[in-house]
Amino acid sequence: MSAYILRRLWQMIPTMLGVVLLVFFLFNYVGGDPAYILAGKISSLEQIASIRRQLGIDEPYYVQLWIFIKQILTADFGSSWATNEPVSQIIMTRIGPSLTVLVPMVIIETVLSVLIAVGVAYVRGSLTDRAVMIGCTVAMSVSLLVYIIVGQYVLAYQLGWFPVQGWGNSFWENLFKYSPLPILLGVAVGIAPNTRLYRTFILDEIHQDYVRTARAKGLSENTVMLRHVLRNAMIPIITNLMTYLPALLVGDFLLERFFSIPGIGREVIVAVERSDFPVVKAITIYVAAATMIANLVADLLYQAVDPRVELK
Amino acid sequence: MKHLIALFAALFLAPALAAGPHPDPDKVLRTMIPQAETGFDPAKIFDLYSNTIAEAINEALLTYDYLARPAKLTPRTAEALPEVADAGRIYTFRIKKGIYFTDDPAFKGKRHELTAADYAYSIKRMMDPKVRSPYRPLVDGKIEGLNTLTKKAEQTGSFDYDAPVAGLAMPDRYTLKITLTEPDYNFAYILAMPTFGAVAREVIEYYGNDTNAHPIGTGPYKLGKWVRASFIELIANPDYRGVAWNYTAVEAGDEILLKEMKGKVLPTIGRIEISVMEEDQARLLAFQNRELDLFELRGGLAPRILDGAKLKPEFTAMGAKLSRIVDPELAYPYFNMRQGTFVGLTKDKIALRRALILAYDSDEEVRTVWNGQAEKLEFPIPPGIVGYLPKYRSSNQTNVKLAIALLEKFGYKIGADGWRTLPDGQPLVVHFTTFPDSEGRLLEEMMAKTLEKLHIHILVDKKKFADMLKAERACQIESRADRWIADYPDGDNFMQLFYSKNIGQTNTSCTDIPEYDRLYEKASKLPDGPERTALWVNMARLLEYYGAIRVSVARNRNMVMQSRVIGFKKHPILLADWLYIDIDDSVKEK
Repeated sequence: MSAYILRRLWQMIPTMLGVVLLVFFLFNYVGGDPAYILAGKISSLEQIASIRRQLGIDEPYYVQLWIFIKQILTADFGSSWATNEPVSQIIMTRIGPSLTVLVPMVIIETVLSVLIAVGVAYVRGSLTDRAVMIGCTVAMSVSLLVYIIVGQYVLAYQLGWFPVQGWGNSFWENLFKYSPLPILLGVAVGIAPNTRLYRTFILDEIHQDYVRTARAKGLSENTVMLRHVLRNAMIPIITNLMTYLPALLVGDFLLERFFSIPGIGREVIVAVERSDFPVVKAITIYVAAATMIANLVADLLYQAVDPRVELK
Repeated sequence: MKHLIALFAALFLAPALAAGPHPDPDKVLRTMIPQAETGFDPAKIFDLYSNTIAEAINEALLTYDYLARPAKLTPRTAEALPEVADAGRIYTFRIKKGIYFTDDPAFKGKRHELTAADYAYSIKRMMDPKVRSPYRPLVDGKIEGLNTLTKKAEQTGSFDYDAPVAGLAMPDRYTLKITLTEPDYNFAYILAMPTFGAVAREVIEYYGNDTNAHPIGTGPYKLGKWVRASFIELIANPDYRGVAWNYTAVEAGDEILLKEMKGKVLPTIGRIEISVMEEDQARLLAFQNRELDLFELRGGLAPRILDGAKLKPEFTAMGAKLSRIVDPELAYPYFNMRQGTFVGLTKDKIALRRALILAYDSDEEVRTVWNGQAEKLEFPIPPGIVGYLPKYRSSNQTNVKLAIALLEKFGYKIGADGWRTLPDGQPLVVHFTTFPDSEGRLLEEMMAKTLEKLHIHILVDKKKFADMLKAERACQIESRADRWIADYPDGDNFMQLFYSKNIGQTNTSCTDIPEYDRLYEKASKLPDGPERTALWVNMARLLEYYGAIRVSVARNRNMVMQSRVIGFKKHPILLADWLYIDIDDSVKEK
């Protein structure tokens, strides 16, 4: 096992190098020159040149790339070009609000989706199954933006069940006062596609020989579904869930923007708009690392869920 | 006995009077900004909303009269307006005594009184290359001896703040004598900008690179709770000296403000809560839910709240109020005179540019691009600014027939494909550049419609903000609808946009008319008066004649507020207007 983990970690290095090159060249090619933004509307060309010198973006590309690699190795991405705030501080202060919304959202969404998927798979082909699937298809066809606009208007403004927007300093206030509506809307959007997907995973298992054998042994349908079918369907469900996890690090831009949540999603967009390269590259690298680690964790979980899976 | 009474008064009453205002801590104003702040260090911040906060914390020497229009300078920390000598080259300020910075660990327990040295230090910071001040050009090359320090700093990597600067003399602790390299009658306006708010050297050195997060000033408010990019709380500064609300009514409706505010000592509000609200819907619903007291209504939301220039009945029914001005800005489609199709001062090029300008319908721009929330302009200087001429009429009124006749006369014929060609038979294509956003799309449609009337091809290019700035500095944008908002309320701030020596800086249209330059140089050496105004009129006529730009519109700025907000009137230049208002909770919300 440890040899497998070490090998996988070793394999991450070339992947990360690829990400570094891609981010670096994309930013330099299409990212825009931050000196022009920082210099303001009345700046002179000399002043712009001076800012470029200070930011180090007048250095040859290979020097800038080496600085980037050193920053990754030391996990120190310096300070934001726009606000002078240390990048590490930006990430630490913005990740909390994003996770306060997204972690409960993913947990609730996953638990509900799996439960509903098992339920409709249990009564597959029935009117309930078909009605739920039609409902899911309709719900999937509506964009998140519509959910947010309607949800904010009806639930927060008209019914007054939630605040329209806002964010406080206390974790509990944020979790129980400001987050419920964004979480609810996020769950409403995510639950439909996940239910459909998980139902498919479960139905794929239901038709396997081992299920027929379990039934032939006289096991109850509940035991068959929960102990045998669900356990085997967990592998694709875990894969799907693991693809979600790195996304937690980039937040949900739309929810954060509409509900004035000071999360990392808004920060990424603002950083891109301002050509704030230190912030953009730090978040990109962290997300790339998180994706690779999440994939590794998913592979390890496969074995935990299904001992037949062999890690090579 | 008399002496005893005097002693009693000195001991007990004088401190009470000197204590200044008594803002009610329970009075809270909830307002918003539509974009995240970047910080609060006056020399470093580059966005409007951070400057708004800075204006409440760090005080400049001068400010504006709240009600006077056009905007009029008044002293803030200075005892009076500066003495101007040597035809606008020497400015002498005397600073009020007894103004103190708010307490901070940087002062190590000592109180720091505001002096001339603080202003000299704050001005020097703008020229320190390490500060990267976006407002550096406002003083760059303007103050005698200051640029020498910058040059040295660029070589040594360290700015010598202790070195004396001839142009920043301090004859005594409270007097600052600024000597300019050349006369500039607008320099006092420049010193009223929030970026020239006084900072204390101890604070800047104590917080190093984190000065954006530690604004310490002498102003009416200090920073309270701050959730970055989300929420800013300003708390009334208990040591603030207070300013009496004592302004004179100049416009209709001002009497109401006088009735509400006259004689009050500012600030009256104990706490200002500012939320970052990027979405129109969030702002509107928060206002309707009474979670927001005051907000700036932006274009997209206007049709939902306004009926033309008035609030819709459902908003007046809930007691909402509106303060509306024409922004001190100039929006102008331009045609580059340095590179591309429009280059040159020959008659055929003038005819081409003027044809495009004559075909452009600014009234339609007001309707379709700005949802009726803009006013058509005739003169390059907008309302609210010194030099604005309400009776002036441009010679370039929309006239498509005349535009077509001009093109025909100068050889821009319609080809076999139905599109116009250049006089030499080459295709005539206008490259128009916009930002990749909804406003950019509307402006693009507006220009496409204009050119279609003339049978001229348009090619649209989209550029991000940084790329646009870079291309404009290099005169690489052939045509665009640009706009400029006043930094200070003098017409010079607009007329300089078309001075050829400002190409690469503010002259984004790359307008290059030698006669205009000559008049500009003459006008810029004159104080406000009929002679300067006459020169500006001639310059405006030159812009019209040569077809450099289309003087098009200025947008409206609409501030919507709950009925409990009293004394509010949007100022064309001041950013933190809420410094001058009050909250009256006895006003019953409907």
